[in-house]
Amino acid sequence: KELRLSHQWSNKDVRHKVAEIVANEVAAADVDLDIKIFGSKSLFKPREQYRPLSRGQLDMTVLPLSYAGGQQPAFNLTLMPGLVKNHDHAARLSDSPFMDALEEKMAEDDVMVLVHGYLAGGFVGKDKCITKPEDVKGLQTRAAGKAFEQMLAGAGASIASMASSEIYNAMQTGVLNAANTSSSSFVSYRIYEQVKCYTPAGDVALWFMYQPLLMNKSTFEDLNEAQQKALLDASAKAEAYYLEEAKKQDAASVKVFADAGVEIAEMSPEDFEAWRAIAQETSYKKFVTEVPDGQALLDMALAVE
Amino acid sequence: MAGHTPSAATSHVGNNAFLRVVAALSTLSGWCSAAMIVAAVVITCQMIVVRFVLNGSTVWQTEAVIYLAISATLIGLPYVQRLRGHVNVDLVPLALPKKARFVLCICTLSLTIAMVCVMLWYGFEFWHLAFERNWKSDTIWGVRLWIPYLALPVGFALFLLQLIADLVAVILKIDQPFGLEDN
Amino acid sequence: MDPLILGAIVAISTILILFSGVSVAIGLLLVSTLFLLIFDGVRSLELLPEILFGKLDNFALLSIPMFIIMGSSIASTRAGADLYEALERWLTRLPGGLVISNLGACALFAAMSGSSPATCAAIGKMGIPEMRKRGYPDGVAAGSIAAGGTLGILIPPSVTMIVYGIATESSIGRLFLAGVIPGFMLVLLFMIWSLYSTWASGNKSLLSTRSYSWKEKFEILPRVVPFLLIILGVLYAMYGGVATPSETAAVGALMCLVIAMVIYKLWNPKDLWVVLRDSTRESVMILFIIAAAGVFSYMLSSLFITQSIAEWIGTLDVNRWVLMAAVNVFLLIAGFFLPPVAVILMAAPILLPIITAAGFDPIWFAVVLTINMEIGLISPPVGLNLYVINGIAPEISLKTILMGSLPYVGCMVLAIILLCLFPGIATWLPDAVMGVAR
Ligand code: NA
Ligand code: NA
Repeated sequence: KELRLSHQWSNKDVRHKVAEIVANEVAAADVDLDIKIFGSKSLFKPREQYRPLSRGQLDMTVLPLSYAGGQQPAFNLTLMPGLVKNHDHAARLSDSPFMDALEEKMAEDDVMVLVHGYLAGGFVGKDKCITKPEDVKGLQTRAAGKAFEQMLAGAGASIASMASSEIYNAMQTGVLNAANTSSSSFVSYRIYEQVKCYTPAGDVALWFMYQPLLMNKSTFEDLNEAQQKALLDASAKAEAYYLEEAKKQDAASVKVFADAGVEIAEMSPEDFEAWRAIAQETSYKKFVTEVPDGQALLDMALAVE
Repeated sequence: MAGHTPSAATSHVGNNAFLRVVAALSTLSGWCSAAMIVAAVVITCQMIVVRFVLNGSTVWQTEAVIYLAISATLIGLPYVQRLRGHVNVDLVPLALPKKARFVLCICTLSLTIAMVCVMLWYGFEFWHLAFERNWKSDTIWGVRLWIPYLALPVGFALFLLQLIADLVAVILKIDQPFGLEDN
Repeated sequence: MDPLILGAIVAISTILILFSGVSVAIGLLLVSTLFLLIFDGVRSLELLPEILFGKLDNFALLSIPMFIIMGSSIASTRAGADLYEALERWLTRLPGGLVISNLGACALFAAMSGSSPATCAAIGKMGIPEMRKRGYPDGVAAGSIAAGGTLGILIPPSVTMIVYGIATESSIGRLFLAGVIPGFMLVLLFMIWSLYSTWASGNKSLLSTRSYSWKEKFEILPRVVPFLLIILGVLYAMYGGVATPSETAAVGALMCLVIAMVIYKLWNPKDLWVVLRDSTRESVMILFIIAAAGVFSYMLSSLFITQSIAEWIGTLDVNRWVLMAAVNVFLLIAGFFLPPVAVILMAAPILLPIITAAGFDPIWFAVVLTINMEIGLISPPVGLNLYVINGIAPEISLKTILMGSLPYVGCMVLAIILLCLFPGIATWLPDAVMGVAR
């Protein structure tokens, strides 16, 4: 039997490697199961993957779950400023009642998680470093994720929306002064050529995005026991790899930026608290009013030590 | 190649009431399509002013403009069909004798109608799903997606009508097959 | 089934269906539906509307209707004629001033219009009758304008460069810059040929045309000012930090509409509607093909055809220039039958990995690809520009237009060879302005 996995990343990306590990391990288990990977958005556009997945037209995908926030508003919690402090905290979140609640929501869409994983990101500034909220005041900023847009707007930034592929050009011509996205996107779009300062994810980081490997639940349940076991074993292996690599990503991006002569800034714990205070008044508040059981979910997430 | 002369070639309607009504509907959809393109131009300029001159936030413009452009395309389909603006390769139709050309034209129009029916059917289902589950876009603006998706069923339905009208016109010999004049 | 064999079957089916005379967009949808139905099952059809909608869900695509509005609003005024007359008065000392002026006007108009048919129509409406009146051979009159019009997609802004940029995720600003020098090189080649053929036709008296007084020369200059304003305005918006290239199109469209209304008195709602109608028709046609080509490429990818072809070519151990020649022949043939955007959308995902693996620059390749598409615009059976010329000068037979255009195809092939020998022609300007890409 053949399963189709779609994702948006290049074959050098850690998320492709995660998919590849699952595919290779399953193939090695010799249970008559074959996973075909369609990378680099060769099958679906990034934001178009969740719907076919939930309707069984696509078997597996690796995607930022917040892309499906328009269908399940609860998923917006997976890209919420300051909710995750660092990679180990992220791993504890993935293994908490909070994630169980999210998985229940996914089950409503006939979707299940095979591999949990969070990736971190940071800020870049065209002319100056961005560490605390005052730094973004009056800057044209492009943020990844609506919760971040709300928080940045709360800090006085002007929000510009554009595709991530346009960040480079917009930074170069000065349309954009600051941006916020994942470490790997910063590197793959060569943003280090255009900015003065990079604030990476360090001991504390605001920007964490949950990007799991998902599978259609019915498709999984239709597999025989040996196949299911092979998939789960492979996923466990991939998850361990994912966590290790996620930590390395941030250091690697810092090296790329530093090598390109970009100044590296650090966010202090006080800065982090200042951002979180704004987020509480903006994105958290908005989330709770938009999602019926939002407060309960938020409390569950905040309860994870 | 039909449809690329600067002067506007249109399909003939004769005195047939059905053809006239459909032609009017298609023209109306053409106006809507053009209006949406103009609106997209204006909104984009407004966005540039807000950002560049006022240094303000621009969170809804990009999305609005994209949906306007997609709707303009889908709603514009029947009008462009009426103007014979959809490019085709008319090498074979030109080379065929009159009778064979007529038969080929009936075949291609029927195939086109079948294709548009498929798009209309699944387009309606897709729109209905978005409506029923109240899907929204995952942006601050959070548009209810059934609104832009409505262009799918509406656009293809009007396109279907215009295609049926074209088929009728060819069968009733009110219009020439492929819009090609005899030579 | 082996994806390569399947790919061949898809290719043959596509050719058969497109030759039946069905419209290109619907043809692509029909082939996609057929193969998805057979190999992926009925349920895969549920995805069709979402994919169609999704392919259009891209801000950069919106610049296509806007660049088309720029062209068609100015084309409906006297601006094209003014431009060409101004050039003629100033270039009168040059041998063959009239045909040179027409080609120059095409090049300048191309700097404002994103599409080729609009460029062709704007300059041809005045240019062709004037050239014929002064005794230029019909072939030169029609051919030079048909070929000059193709510059619309090479000299920025360009609809095909936008589509290429989207398909390959390259910087549109960089792509635009890459087309500038090759565009002017091509104009030069066109001019050289036009002069030679006029001279060879034995009508040497044409080469020295009437002369104009200095008064006449300066009198016309104010009339080209709006034109220069638009070009400068667009350049400033695009490279001066006002807007991204895709947003710039809207500035250009609004400027052109306003200038057409205020300076050229295009008040009449009927005239304005003609501009909007023509823009809508061309835009909807192109965008629908883009959407349908998106569904087509989904089908190719879903059946693993795209991936298999790329892999297969990768295993062929051929010289990179043999590969480039083969790619060019393929593009030429595809361009004969399909409109540029369809070719780019279907070919780019397959070709780009091969091209970059062979060590070619994707920005440089965009220029080569665009010139290939220009050839397609003046070659049968789907040569958009030939039909535009046929529309504005019905008294010249399609055959004469075609024969007149052929030598210009030769110029374009020569330009491709020059680009292969000196890639810097395309890459120097973007590197100089935007820094060397890594
Ligand atoms: Na152009
Ligand atoms: Na052609």
